[in-house]
Amino acid sequence: MTSLVKAHGVSKHFGNVCAVDDVSFEIKKGRIMGLIGPNGAGKTTLLKALLGLTDCDGELSVLGLDPFRQRKDLMRNICFIADVAVLPRWIRVFQLLDFVESTHPNFSRDKAEALLEKTNVSARRDSRVRELSKGMVTQLHLSIIAAIDARLLILDEPTLGLDIIFRKEFYANLLSDYFDEERTILVTTHQVEEIENILTDVMFINEGRIILDTTMDSLADSYVELMTSGEQASKARNMGPIAERDIFGKSVMLFERPDRGRLGELGELHTPSVADLFVAKIKGAAA
Amino acid sequence: MIANQIPLIRRELWEHRSIFVTPIVIGLILSLGVLMTEGMLTAHTAEVDIGIAAASNLPDESHRSAVINGLLFIPSVIILIGMSILVIFYSLDALYAERKDKSILFWRSLPVTDAETVISKALTAALVIPLISFVAIIATQLISMILTSIWIMIEGGNAIHLIWEPASLVSLWAATLAGMLMLSLWFSPFLGWFLFVSAFAKRMPLLLAALPIIMLPMLENWIFGSKIFFEAFLLRTVEPVRDAAETAKASFQISENLRVSSFIADPWQAIDFANFFAKLDLWAGLIVSATFITAAVYVRRYRDES
Repeated sequence: MTSLVKAHGVSKHFGNVCAVDDVSFEIKKGRIMGLIGPNGAGKTTLLKALLGLTDCDGELSVLGLDPFRQRKDLMRNICFIADVAVLPRWIRVFQLLDFVESTHPNFSRDKAEALLEKTNVSARRDSRVRELSKGMVTQLHLSIIAAIDARLLILDEPTLGLDIIFRKEFYANLLSDYFDEERTILVTTHQVEEIENILTDVMFINEGRIILDTTMDSLADSYVELMTSGEQASKARNMGPIAERDIFGKSVMLFERPDRGRLGELGELHTPSVADLFVAKIKGAAA
Repeated sequence: MIANQIPLIRRELWEHRSIFVTPIVIGLILSLGVLMTEGMLTAHTAEVDIGIAAASNLPDESHRSAVINGLLFIPSVIILIGMSILVIFYSLDALYAERKDKSILFWRSLPVTDAETVISKALTAALVIPLISFVAIIATQLISMILTSIWIMIEGGNAIHLIWEPASLVSLWAATLAGMLMLSLWFSPFLGWFLFVSAFAKRMPLLLAALPIIMLPMLENWIFGSKIFFEAFLLRTVEPVRDAAETAKASFQISENLRVSSFIADPWQAIDFANFFAKLDLWAGLIVSATFITAAVYVRRYRDES
């Protein structure tokens, strides 16, 4: 089984509002998938459906299980961090480790202790979560998650509210302590630029629909950014860019499935950043 | 299913420290009360003739036994009242706090089902809290007796003969424990209702839990002119209290005309399992309780917290 997640025609309605609208996609083993979308795009609803936290229409299978109906089995092999706030504030660090150890069959206490040893939390075993800084809580949570031998890790805005140093550290630790070819990560964040280097796949979601689903490799082939000016800019404009913006008096145009030979004559070519592509796609979808 | 109950219940004890603190504090206050009473008795030996000291004035063993057991029963009742309030607040908080502090998403990220979690909270309220309170009752009784023994010895009496021999400790404790567990079963519809409210209330679970209990009988009487709900409520709450009051009254008659009712000399006799479990009302209550607890599981499972 190479596809860990299979979604076919998945929808979720809240009354008349359609949060997720007929979505189909697959996530393969050993990938790091970024799920990117504006607020209210249906990201969180989709993640909740994957985690079995909410029921949905359509066919959805995660690790071959129905997430809503086989949640307990699913949770043995899935981990998720929804936001730093979710660790109970009253619990003490050692109690948290005790609890996870006694309820999670795939949790390695030794590994968690070893990971914590590298952080500031190691000297605070008796502290309550509420007494730790936000960065320490995230380190604690990630250490626990990394010590669980799970096949799929789902991260929903894991670094929200953290400063830049902790954010960088978080993703560095994620790659060094957690990720290997047996494991798969699905991550959503607003700070796209911080994760685009680690992603292998990216999916854009807007108004409940997936508007882009591609690997990062093919993204570089499919999209190109041209920086140009003056007469050459109007020539380029005739070739149908999907987005255009101005930087320091120069025009930056984004092309889908570009004719690289012709564009190359008109100016400098770059691979667009995921963030720029995202903005272009969302605006394009709105137009 | 069962393997997870121990860590889950331990988690409840970590989160709700009042489960320990409440009975310990009440027990300490009562012990202090015993100490102060004895101090006062020493100061006014001539005028005051109450308390365990009074036992020494009683003519024979059976009367002494009745008085000692009756007095030992006082801390049980007070700790029981404290425990009942504790259970109400605990069960209203049990499924509410985890939503308020948003930790529910973390708990639900572990391989533990919603049913296991809700059951652990019901077991904590119905079994663990009574057991802890029971231990506090025993400790308070023993502390009171030890303090009194010291006092009697200082006053020149024989504590073993006066209080330890007549006290029917084993019978008393067995009856207390059985009685507490029977009370848990009897009041379980309220526990189920509180857990259910705790699972769905957005705010003020106490108010939400109390309102229907007050409003439903009024509405029923107003719309249908009937009192079925009100009478069921009375049967569940007032009658056991009235029974307990009758029992207490019977035991106080000892001091008036020295008649000793047999159960106060041997409290275990008051426990009648056959009669208790034969009551249809008990089983009806358990069904109501199970329904509410099942509903609480479904609310926790299906509710969308975003």
